[in-house]
Amino acid sequence: MATEAITTQRRISDARQSSGLFGRVRHELQFVRGRGALEISVVLIVLLAGYTIAGLVSPEGFAFLNPNNLSGVVSQAVPVLAILGLAAGILMIAGEFDLSLGANITLSAIVFIKTAEGAGLWAAIAAAIVCGMVVALVNGLIVVYTRIPSFIATLGMSFFWMGAGIFLNGTTPATLTSSRDDLMVFLFAQDFGFFRSQLVWLLIIGVLAWFFVHRHRLGNHLFAVGGNPAAAEAISINPKRVKLMSFAIFGGLVGFASILIAVRTSSMQPGGSATEDFTLFAIAAAVVGGTSLMGGRGSVTGIVVGAALIELIRNGLLLAKAPGFYITLFVGVTIVIAAIFNKLMEGKAR
Amino acid sequence: MTALYSLQGVTKKYGPNTVLNDVSFEIGENEVVGLLGDNGAGKSTLVKIMSGVVQADAGEFTWGGSTIDRMSRETTERLGVETIFQDSALVPFMTITRNIFMGREITNRLGFMKMKQMDAITADVLDSVVTIEGIKSPKQLVASLSGGQAQAVAIARAVHFKRSLLILDEPTSALAVRATEALLAYLTQLKSEGVSSVLVTHNLHHAYQVCDRHIVMNHGRKILDVRREDTSVEELTAAVVEGAEGIRRYREGRH
Ligand SMILES: Nc1ncnc2c1ncn2[C@@H]1O[C@H](COP(=O)(O)OP(=O)(O)OP(=O)(O)O)[C@@H](O)[C@H]1O
Ligand SMILES: [Mg+2]
Repeated sequence: MATEAITTQRRISDARQSSGLFGRVRHELQFVRGRGALEISVVLIVLLAGYTIAGLVSPEGFAFLNPNNLSGVVSQAVPVLAILGLAAGILMIAGEFDLSLGANITLSAIVFIKTAEGAGLWAAIAAAIVCGMVVALVNGLIVVYTRIPSFIATLGMSFFWMGAGIFLNGTTPATLTSSRDDLMVFLFAQDFGFFRSQLVWLLIIGVLAWFFVHRHRLGNHLFAVGGNPAAAEAISINPKRVKLMSFAIFGGLVGFASILIAVRTSSMQPGGSATEDFTLFAIAAAVVGGTSLMGGRGSVTGIVVGAALIELIRNGLLLAKAPGFYITLFVGVTIVIAAIFNKLMEGKAR
Repeated sequence: MTALYSLQGVTKKYGPNTVLNDVSFEIGENEVVGLLGDNGAGKSTLVKIMSGVVQADAGEFTWGGSTIDRMSRETTERLGVETIFQDSALVPFMTITRNIFMGREITNRLGFMKMKQMDAITADVLDSVVTIEGIKSPKQLVASLSGGQAQAVAIARAVHFKRSLLILDEPTSALAVRATEALLAYLTQLKSEGVSSVLVTHNLHHAYQVCDRHIVMNHGRKILDVRREDTSVEELTAAVVEGAEGIRRYREGRH
């Protein structure tokens, strides 16, 4: 093939030509700028440093370094939000949203609890993940085939799925009792002192997600479809199929997160609003981590760091004994600033 | 000689507008065909239909003598047809490499991409046909490229994957003189490699320079289909600007 002929003098420089590790890193960064993961990591590190100093200066007044607090935030709150953020973020990269995330958690958690009580742990794990996927796929089919904006379609569907939870379990909470054995706790909620099971899951899921999103063929298609669906189609990528796949992945991750939540809290209230916050917080984690609201941009590292940042801010406000509404207020401001920041970064890359 | 690709009675309507009206023509083996016409004549629509991205309302398509049952991008890809679309069809916030290999990534058996290999090929392909100044790395985002640089990426992609037919919809609109000349020369070279091409352009001198045959479209109809020997830049100009009336007047004027 003519195009594979050896070009004697290659003008387009290769990363390898840059000298040393530092030069190579700088070379790489030059072209990944605009993704936001780097900047947000700097913010996170600065915040962590500030918290550590505050915690050292006043261990009583700001108990950040208290092992209980650390393991609660780092290995419980952050992993759950990060997994949900990855779910929402992967869907956003493909150009869609699912606002029924909270309702999906409630329903999948109820399914998990009921199956665990009736048929044991392994069946329950499978049931929760399948439930999450089915819920998301139904949403996805509606979005993809009716072309209703996913914001509207999934907002509407969230009421439906909330209702489905009540249909399954009535208005009383579903509760884990005899089935919440050592194995279940070990797998999903064990406190090993300075880390918990949830953190291990985040590591596993994070690495898998990174390889899928940034190195797998199908991950490449996510960005293509979210970034320019017409271009993807012209090159014979099927946008509908890719979007449905991203809804399925979203659902699987939400189903899994619902297990972590159910095992920790041991119960789930059908139709309850306890899980509703997760919907916007998950999108917030993705946006703070540099995911574009318009689709086609985002990174796994960014989203995990975004989730960590949000949970740290929330934790800091709690430790500083700020009134509850402050937390909502601050997270709101963070999202808006992050979105503006993403916009600026996109401008810079053009 | 059987034609490589032939279209019979292609018609396309967008709402009440008939954008293509009963268009028929052939593309021969080792032939460069110029597809000409005024703005809105239907050239790009025809290109999209030929490449299977848009479906015609009516029409028959044959490839190497046998009928194509269902036109789709999958079909044309299998046949080795590559297209440079007028709107270039790139994804701004993906790297050059990822744009070039989009949908056709080089992967291992599990579907994970071989990034280094794709970057290396990209670097070579970008330099092979039109050499554009200022592209520093295959890892650059397409959003950070100039119009001409982006067009060079679209050209490189089509050039790399074409096997039998290359369709170019105004590929030189953003290119400077040197790059344009290189691309035109490449079309002639392609013939000797057994690849046909269709060139859509508004520059009739360019078309006349490289095309073996010229098809002129006017309001969705084919009004002229002539070999280079049988026409001139003047006749092509008259056809594009004034339509069928222009051709008639030009031919009368010569007698
Ligand atoms: N998707 C579409 N929906 C409706 N009308 C369309 C669509 N695409 C093209 N058209 C119409 O079809 C006609 C032909 O368009 P086309 O893009 O094929 O022209 P063209 O010959 O490529 O023009 P140009 O030289 O300006 O690129 C135009 O009148 C255009 O408005
Ligand atoms: Mg056109």
